This record gives sequence, structure tokens and C-alpha cells, in this order.
Amino acid sequence: MEITFAALLWGVRIAFVILLYLFLIRAFGALHRTLSEERIVATARQLGIAALVVVRSHAGGPRVGERLPLRAVSSVGRDAGNDVVLNDEAASAKHAVVSFVDGEWWLEDAGSTNGTLLNGSRIQDKERLHYGDEVAVGRIALRLERAQ
Amino acid sequence: MIRARPVARLAELRLLVWVAAFSVAGYVAVVAAASGRFAWYEVAVPLAVLAIFGALHLFLVSVGFQGDQLLMPLALGLTSIGFILVERLAPTLLLQQLSWLVIAAGAFCGTILIPRDLSVLARFKYTWAFLGMLLLVSPLLPVIGREINGARIWVGLPGIAQFEPWELVKVALVIFFAAYLDEYREVLSTPPRRFGPIPVPPIPYLLPIVAMWLVAMLVMVFEKDLGATLLFFGIFLAMLYLATGEPFYVLIGLVMLAGGGFIAYHAFNHVAARIDVWLAPFDSDLRFDQAYQLTQGLFSLANAGILGAGLGNGMPERIPVVWSDFVFAAFTEEVGFVGALALLAFYLVFVYRGMLIALRAPTTLLQLVAAGLSFIIAFQTLVIVAGNSKLIPLTGITLPFVAYGGSSLVTNFVLCALLLRVSDITARVRR
Repeated sequence: MEITFAALLWGVRIAFVILLYLFLIRAFGALHRTLSEERIVATARQLGIAALVVVRSHAGGPRVGERLPLRAVSSVGRDAGNDVVLNDEAASAKHAVVSFVDGEWWLEDAGSTNGTLLNGSRIQDKERLHYGDEVAVGRIALRLERAQ
Repeated sequence: MIRARPVARLAELRLLVWVAAFSVAGYVAVVAAASGRFAWYEVAVPLAVLAIFGALHLFLVSVGFQGDQLLMPLALGLTSIGFILVERLAPTLLLQQLSWLVIAAGAFCGTILIPRDLSVLARFKYTWAFLGMLLLVSPLLPVIGREINGARIWVGLPGIAQFEPWELVKVALVIFFAAYLDEYREVLSTPPRRFGPIPVPPIPYLLPIVAMWLVAMLVMVFEKDLGATLLFFGIFLAMLYLATGEPFYVLIGLVMLAGGGFIAYHAFNHVAARIDVWLAPFDSDLRFDQAYQLTQGLFSLANAGILGAGLGNGMPERIPVVWSDFVFAAFTEEVGFVGALALLAFYLVFVYRGMLIALRAPTTLLQLVAAGLSFIIAFQTLVIVAGNSKLIPLTGITLPFVAYGGSSLVTNFVLCALLLRVSDITARVRR
């Protein structure tokens, strides 16, 4: 039996629609896989990626032992718009930035008046930050800790 | 920061193979139906398109990109469907669209290479807003501004190229709104003063609401573009809601839009015409006049049925300007309900994925950017598909990635690249 042009054309047309759906099935599959991974990640995420724990403070400042959760890029300062707000007149409105880049924590002074101290010494440029390091801003000292 | 260490993107590659398969099948069907025979050289055009897709994939692999692997195959799949439809509906425009794809691919790569955490976008937010406004009013300027099909939304030099600046404004707007709303985060975290059940919006919110409304109305009156007005205001209300979680602001916005629309309906002919056509397209005065495009589109949809007329076998060319405004009706006529459902599923997965990227993003700014960009795709699809099927008045919004048009292709590729960048930042932070 000879396969006519019209039959072949219809074959290609139907193949097109079937292939569209085969693609979509795989796309849905990929979506489903990441969603089930998402559930596991979500619980870890609620705890934040890390936190600054207050180790030294004063009367008007944050309470000692308080955990201030960090984002990937967190601004630290006196202004209420910061991610980590420190109520201390020795702190600048935007004092420092703590960031997480390629698996490493970094501390950077954002042009503050009184400077930022890392383990007791004033930082000049961008400094690497390790878990357990102590950061001092104004009269407040904070320690970088892993998420609980 | 992007490090130049190649990574395998196998999930993306596997999906792209399926994109390649249906692209070739669809294109061959369209060409064979038109010419009445199969010829091997017909696969040259889809292969050229697929070569560009492959190059984009290799580019992401070579820069060690860690972002989402599902978004690009979806976007490129839709683009490929777009090329099949250009070949079907306006073969003379194919070469032009192919050159636009090259430009779009370049813009995509450029966006991927934006340094670091995209904070550069937030830092220059007023620059973006200013550029956006400049682009928005540019069609009103003499010499470069041009009016096409009753809408003054184009700039270009006659005979060389023309561009719809509005398309790019959308992306600039989302970035500006995201940065603006992110900056006023502290106002956002305090609950608004309430006047009974009505929250009184703080000034930083009230001011842009009024400003945006004025600009949106300006676009409607002077550029005569209903679609842009709708999208412009829609983006703003959606992002305001995303940032505040306060449905009342959206309500105020909708009431203002409805009020403006009511006045415009009575004051301006081009607005009234759109509404009249939508209400009664088969009216004897309108059927073969202003409503001709819409009624022909409705006949196309009616001709579709479950399985459609078959690619290349329908009569979508009877719709005026079918390749830009009515691609959805044309596609549906030829592949039927089954095909239209698949097309909408592409958008569904794309938007769902975009919103997931937004949920996972590490900073408020990135969350707002990703959500706003996903919203653009969802809103445009909704407005044009509903317009084609006479659910709402027809507006000149393009079907993302699919409709013919250089400006929208470039913009959508930039949009997709930005979403991918957000997911890349998320992946690096979480590792």
C-alpha cells in the first residue's frame, strides 16, 4: 500500500502535538522534582542561613544572647531600614554590610563614622568572616553563628 | 558573581532536545502543507533557530551558570512555536524575525553577565525610572515617533527599523518598583493607620499610586494604547500588593482605573470604539468595519474544534494582522483545543516556575523583581488570550515569546534572563 502525501502530512501534524505534550510531561516532571526537594529545604530555611548573636550590649541596645538572623546580604546599622538594626548612638545609620558569597561570609564597612571592628581590630576593606568571629559596631558586639 | 567554570546542565539539555523535536515537526508540517511536498532543505530554518538555542545553552554551560534549568526550555519552546506561526502566517517576515532572535539572544547573554547580585539595578533605580519615562513618551516626539494602526507607540527611522519602546519600559518599571518598595520596607512592616476598616496608606505609597495613575492615563490619552495602560497599571498594583499584602490598595487602584476608563470612554473615540466592538462585534455597522479583525478571529476559534484543522490547513490568514494580534486564534484554529491547552500549559509552568524563583530568592528586592517579571508574562497571556476570545475588550498586547515582533522578543528574552539570574543568585547563596 502506498503512503500518500496527505497521510504523511497528517502524521507529522499529529507528531507535532504529541511532541508538545511529551515536552510538557517532562517539564511538569522537573517541576514536581524540585517541589519535593523544596519541602526539605523549606524547613531548613525557616531557621535562616546564619545569625549574629549579641554578646555585649548596653541599656538601650539589643538584649545579650539575642539572635539576629542574616540574609544573603544584610545591612547593619542604626537606621530602621537595615536588616540588622542596632540601637546605639555610636553606630552609623548604615554602618556595615555582611554578605554570603560563594559559600563564604564577608564583612564590609559601609563608610561608618566610628568604624567596624573584627575580633578587636578595625577593618579597612572587605574582610573574610568565620563562624565564631566577633564583630563590634559602636558599643555592641556580635558573634557570627550557624543557623540552629 | 559568575565564575568561568563550566557546569553540566543536563536537565535543560534533555528538555531542549524535545523542543528541537517538536520545532522540526511543526515547521515541516507547515511548509509541506503550503508547498504540497516534503523537501529536506526545508529543515534549514528550524535548524538555524535551534542552533541559536543550542548556542544559548552552551553559553550558560560555559559561564558556569547555576540557575534554573526549566525556564529556558519553556521560553525557547514558545519562541519556536512563534517561528512556526510566522512561517505559517507571514513567511515574508521570517528573515526579519530571525535577525531579531539573534539580537534577543545577544541581549539575553548581556543580561546574564550583569555583575554580582543585581544590586546595581537597585542602586540606579531613579535612573531606571527616568529612562522608562523617557522611553514611554518617546513615541510622542516628532520625527522618531510613529503612529501605526491607530496607536502611537512606535519609534523608528522610516525604512530601517522600528521599535516599540513600551515593551522595554515594562522591565524597567518592575525593577524600579521593586527597588522603591524594598527601600520603604520599614514603612511596610508597620501596620497602616486604619480609618474604620479602611487602611490609610502612608504617603510613600499614596504618592506613587497617584503618579502611576496619571502616567497610565497619559498613555491612554496620547498614545491611544489601551493594552499598555492596562499592563502598566496592572504591574504596579500587583507589585504593591506583593510588597504590602494589603488588598485595599489594589481596590483603590482598580476604582481609580475604572473611573479613568469611564471618563475616557465618554471623552475619547478610540477608547469607545474598542468597547463598542467588544460589546457587539456582529452589529451590522461594525461586523465588516471596526470589528472585522475580532469577528474573523472568532470564526477561526470556532473552526478549531478538539483537534483543529491541522497545521497549514486552516484559514487564519483571513484575520487582518493575524501574526501579531491574533496568533493565539491562528494557532488554536490549526491545532485545536488540544494544542491551545498545551500552549497555555507552557505559560502556566513558566509563571509557576517564576513565582517559585521569587519565593526562594534571598532578598526582598530579588523576590519582588522575580515576582513582578513573572506577573508580566501571566498578565500579558491572560489579556491577549481573553481579548482574542472576546472575554475582555481586545488590546494590542503581544502573546509573550510567540507573537511576531522584534521589540517584544528582545524584551521577553531579557525578562527570562533576569529571572534566571535571580535563580542563579539563590542557588549560590544556598549552596
